[in-house]
Amino acid sequence: MADTPYLLEARNLCQHFASGRGGKRLTVKAVDDVSFGVRPAEIFGLVGESGCGKTTTGRTIIRLYDPTSGTVTFDGREISGGMTRGLRRYLTDNIAMIFQDPIESLNPRMTVEEIVGEGLTIRGVKDKAEVRRRVVEMLGKVGLTNEHATRYPHEFSGGQRQRIGIARAIITHPKMIIADEPVSALDVSVQAQVINLLNDLKEEMGLTILFIAHNLSVVKYFSDRIGVMYYGHLVEIARGDDLYAKPLHPYTRALLSAIPEPNPLTEKTRRRIDYDPERDHKEDYFSGNPVMTEIEPEHFVYCTPSELELYRDQVRGKADA
Amino acid sequence: MLDPHNLPDEIRDLPDAGFELAQTGEIKDEVFHTKPIGFYRDALQRLRKSKASMVSFWIIVIIILLALIVPNITGYTYMEQDTSKKNLPPKIPGLESLGIADGSQILTNRRRDSLDNPDRFPEGSVIRIVREYELSGVPVVDVMVDYYTFVGVDDDVYHWMGTDYLGRDLCTRLFQGTRVSLLIAFFAVLIRIVIGVIYGAIAGYYGGKVDFAMIHFAEVMDGLPYVVVTILFMILLGAGMFSIILAMTVTGWIGTSRLIRAQFYRFKGREYVLAARTLGVTDRKLIFRHILPNTIGPLITKAMIEIPGAIFSEAFLAYIGLGIKPPNPSIGILLSNGQSVLLQYPYQTLFPAVLISVLMVAFNLFANGLRDALDPTRRGED
Repeated sequence: MADTPYLLEARNLCQHFASGRGGKRLTVKAVDDVSFGVRPAEIFGLVGESGCGKTTTGRTIIRLYDPTSGTVTFDGREISGGMTRGLRRYLTDNIAMIFQDPIESLNPRMTVEEIVGEGLTIRGVKDKAEVRRRVVEMLGKVGLTNEHATRYPHEFSGGQRQRIGIARAIITHPKMIIADEPVSALDVSVQAQVINLLNDLKEEMGLTILFIAHNLSVVKYFSDRIGVMYYGHLVEIARGDDLYAKPLHPYTRALLSAIPEPNPLTEKTRRRIDYDPERDHKEDYFSGNPVMTEIEPEHFVYCTPSELELYRDQVRGKADA
Repeated sequence: MLDPHNLPDEIRDLPDAGFELAQTGEIKDEVFHTKPIGFYRDALQRLRKSKASMVSFWIIVIIILLALIVPNITGYTYMEQDTSKKNLPPKIPGLESLGIADGSQILTNRRRDSLDNPDRFPEGSVIRIVREYELSGVPVVDVMVDYYTFVGVDDDVYHWMGTDYLGRDLCTRLFQGTRVSLLIAFFAVLIRIVIGVIYGAIAGYYGGKVDFAMIHFAEVMDGLPYVVVTILFMILLGAGMFSIILAMTVTGWIGTSRLIRAQFYRFKGREYVLAARTLGVTDRKLIFRHILPNTIGPLITKAMIEIPGAIFSEAFLAYIGLGIKPPNPSIGILLSNGQSVLLQYPYQTLFPAVLISVLMVAFNLFANGLRDALDPTRRGED
């Protein structure tokens, strides 16, 4: 698995937003120098606190925003360049997106059939009966019935709406799905339902998923590999188990220490580690340019050369113990 | 392997058989047992509940029907002149025996002795003497006469709302005028909406430099004084329906375009619009299928509020002498004609004034009801 080529690869991806003019010009580096790859049929989790650029990364990849710099390739083809009709088509055929808010992401004026079938109609499926048949088939896959097709979004519960969003995303049979916090807005009992549904669909259709979330337990359960983001930077990438067993970057440690323990006895003694870049990094983290370095197979950390040595020792120490 | 959560033994050793999956197999949702309710049906239901808007809706319908039917059944045309029948008061069959609308008129300052002169007061024209007094030693009277007999019109002639200074039937002219006024208002608002929607949609959807240029152009247009523009159009194209409609639309679309632009700014960043973009929906489809239907509530409301405004603008233009070409009537022209003889023949102003007031109140109430029905969150605002 480790040497399969990446399906989606982002290299030094930057997304900066500017506001104001002249002296008042303000640039927000929402995504700054982010590099990662997602392998075919893999679930890559992207975690981080609110506002760290997870969603922006997803939206930049699918070109809701035009990237400031850096490249993104999908299946060997660059998808971050100038937008042409052909590229738009290639992109929308291959990558679909599931959105966070189940209420906001469905047009209140359209029926479920129109919402789910839109991907087909804009791809030239003219025959109404054919669209209808495929919509119903897709609704069946996500656990809705044929009768639901004529309904409007406001008649459904949050979980149902999110499943409609999933049906809309997969009806065109994309190779990859960017799931932008698909369960954050749902209550816990429904979260499992949607996650399991995504898992089943992934198995059935061989989907590759970029899973953006802030709930660490969900990400751990669901993802093969996990990337941790902090303030626009990707600070650590590792296989799920590795990341939880031996987190290296101080931010990752802080993040993991925030997970509540299911056991009340240990929960009482759980200590929250906080992260302060000034304190937790050496001088040269800010002056010398830290880079993404592979510290052991499949485990990357964003660090400077001097920190690299430190992390190497830690990894070795863990291995010895 | 070390237990990551340090769970106590008795919890770790629980037998698997004691657990049951919360959800097994496929998800299957139940069929809904209610009928699907779309946006418009929902709005219609709310609209039906509002008494004021239903009443005003039927008033509008009745006025439109009257405007369509009445000019064809009065037996007169709006341009038919007969100077022998000028300024006749209202006379309605059936009501005349009750003493209202019986074609009577009070003539003041008539010499007492002239009443006996059949050339001045034909046989049977005097109903009663209202007041007798002396003026410079001459006995004079205020006398109520049957005006129809007084001017020598046949007994079976009826003018429901009287006639004007050229002897034209005012009832025919009023409803013909309503037709014209409603047509002008309808087309003026329709053109405003079409231009405003397209302009506002493009400015709002694309934003940035396009928006900047378009909105500033609209600002400049908005600065043009309305009356001057109208006069220019009248000079250029001559008086008429077409030039009035043009004059009312040349700057009238700006309000709609602002409204639509704001709505597009509100909706274009919504997740469902983004979702449609990630599916590859084209800009045109995004504008007209995804965003515009969501602005339809404020848009319909705006149109309904603008119709009485347009009727009133037309009346105002007619009043200052910039109306449509005579002999075509419009409510404004009737008001303007009636106003010049307001003291002698108040009924000539009364009917058009009542009609335009009822029409405006009805349209405004109906627009309020529509706004509440289409956007329930804004109920009660004005």
